Amino acid sequence: MFFKSSNITARIFDRQICTPAPGTSVHYARKFYENLVPSYTVYEVECPDHSFRKFTDDGQYLISFSRNQQELIVYRPRWLSFSCKDEDCDNHDLPLKAKRFESFFTQLYCVPLASCNELICKDFFLYMESNKFGLFATSTAQVHDAPAVGGAVQGVPSIEKITFHLLRLEDGFVLDEKVFCNDYVNLAHNLGVFLYDDLLTIVSLRYQIIHILQIRDSGNLVHVRAIGEFCREDDELFLNSNAQGMALSDKNKQQQLLGNHIYNNIHQAQPNPGNSFLSGIKQRLLSFMFRGLWNEETDDTLRVQKIRQKFYFHFQDYCDLIIWKVQFLDRHHLLIKFGSVDGGRQVSRHADTHPAFVAVYNMDTTEIVSFYQNSADELYMLFEQFCDHFYATSRNSMHMNFISSHSNNIHALEQLRSIKDKASSSSQFMKKMLSSLPFSCQSLSPSPYFDQSLFRFDDKLISATDRHKQSTDHPIKFILRRHPYSLRFKIKPGPEAGSMDGRAKKISWFLFHPVLPLALSVQQTLIMQPPLNR
Amino acid sequence: MDSVLGNWPSYDPHNFSQLRTSDPSRSSKMAPATYHSIHNRDVPPADQVINTEHKNILLREIYRRAEEKIDLIALPSPSQLTPKRAASDNLIPEHGSKQPRVST
Repeated sequence: MFFKSSNITARIFDRQICTPAPGTSVHYARKFYENLVPSYTVYEVECPDHSFRKFTDDGQYLISFSRNQQELIVYRPRWLSFSCKDEDCDNHDLPLKAKRFESFFTQLYCVPLASCNELICKDFFLYMESNKFGLFATSTAQVHDAPAVGGAVQGVPSIEKITFHLLRLEDGFVLDEKVFCNDYVNLAHNLGVFLYDDLLTIVSLRYQIIHILQIRDSGNLVHVRAIGEFCREDDELFLNSNAQGMALSDKNKQQQLLGNHIYNNIHQAQPNPGNSFLSGIKQRLLSFMFRGLWNEETDDTLRVQKIRQKFYFHFQDYCDLIIWKVQFLDRHHLLIKFGSVDGGRQVSRHADTHPAFVAVYNMDTTEIVSFYQNSADELYMLFEQFCDHFYATSRNSMHMNFISSHSNNIHALEQLRSIKDKASSSSQFMKKMLSSLPFSCQSLSPSPYFDQSLFRFDDKLISATDRHKQSTDHPIKFILRRHPYSLRFKIKPGPEAGSMDGRAKKISWFLFHPVLPLALSVQQTLIMQPPLNR
Repeated sequence: MDSVLGNWPSYDPHNFSQLRTSDPSRSSKMAPATYHSIHNRDVPPADQVINTEHKNILLREIYRRAEEKIDLIALPSPSQLTPKRAASDNLIPEHGSKQPRVST
């Protein structure tokens, strides 16, 4: 126990004289959040009609988009202060200015990002904390049933133009842009893009390429490499030069055989690896699988049998696997999810119908380090023990490394174990858990109110993930994990008196400030205007 | 009174009356003896450099498991489908003469 008393004044005095144990300074500081809680709710605040996306992870900005999804509006969160001279201050109402949106947020700027036929993807936002850069995406309309030309995968839709905008959030200046034409990147909830430190990976689903970009301090987006068809930077050069040589020797043979007839359509100056070769990453994957199966047996007959049964029998299925999602594990390693064309965008309940695989790929040596089916015990053990390392937070931002997960928090682990024990089938349970790998970038709020060692709350109604949750009229309770185990504060989305129509389905989402005891809740029904609570 | 704490005010000055810092015999009993190692097992090698491991614990575990699987079975590479003959244990025989050629 760091603090002997739960009284805030006693805790401040304790802080003056006691140093925390080594490596626990963040936990020590966080305990003050047991005392400083959002204890007052302002219902149905009059606010500008924007869709509020999130607070940046350092709490400096609130990102929102205009209703027509063409403009970005950035606010600076402020903190209201007032003084009260009465004796009974706790029960005193807040002044009128506390009920205004402008008292808490100052608009910094409004920048148009999307041109006439484009829309900003309002579920996409990545923040680079070290330089205070923000990455946004705009796209034109999706085209389903697009023809699979130029190496594209059949069955993946196409978007005429996707633009990634890198902005300096201090003043809204657009630093750089990256455009993808006739391509498809999964933008919703940052699924197709992952940011680690200054490295960005963008997965082109349509052309099956993992683009690695670097965000320089100057604000430039620099293309580092493209993994997919080629793995090493000079693979393309090597294949081109060899193909030219081969084509020339083919041409000579043709001339020898057929005299002076020259067949122009056979001679190709450019190689077409899509037709003759599997893509580089696929080759790495298949050869890794082959070698792994080959090495499992010493006897040659058994070996050949095993290869035939487990590899060649499913060879076409393995060849047809496509990259669905990618994340960084560190600056050199990627975690890549492979799946079938139909099953990639699987919701966890459909996880069993389409098999998926997860591979660890070393970008520098271009080797696959390991490969698992997404129901593998081994992968689940890694997930259970090292979950917070899968989140791959940048080393620069310390507080992002303290988000509760079942690997760093005993309460979360107990919760996971209890779900595991209740699950009817352990392999289904593992598949469901592992379907969340690879993780999406910056999808968890670093707010200390979601720290499982401080508070207990119903995670069906509210959690650190930035997804919509089903809303009820009952307030969401946050109960202390430590003595005195009491209710500390409540969050009630929706109007103060409760909603008029109890039958209408309501969803709500919450934006918690990472540092201040400030949270926004937005509730939406299908019919009503979204009321905004704080 | 010359106490370790100086002439600070205290609740009861007689509390510290037992303390005699100027007493040499007592101070030597109070100071713990410094430990000097009598063996050289714990001397670090001269070229030892201690660094932070760059790979995080998850990747270390993934690599460790991958290497375990490789080490489990001693193996020739799969590209050589013809069976290999193991080399003799004594590759460089003492007498230094050439090894007789193994019949195919």
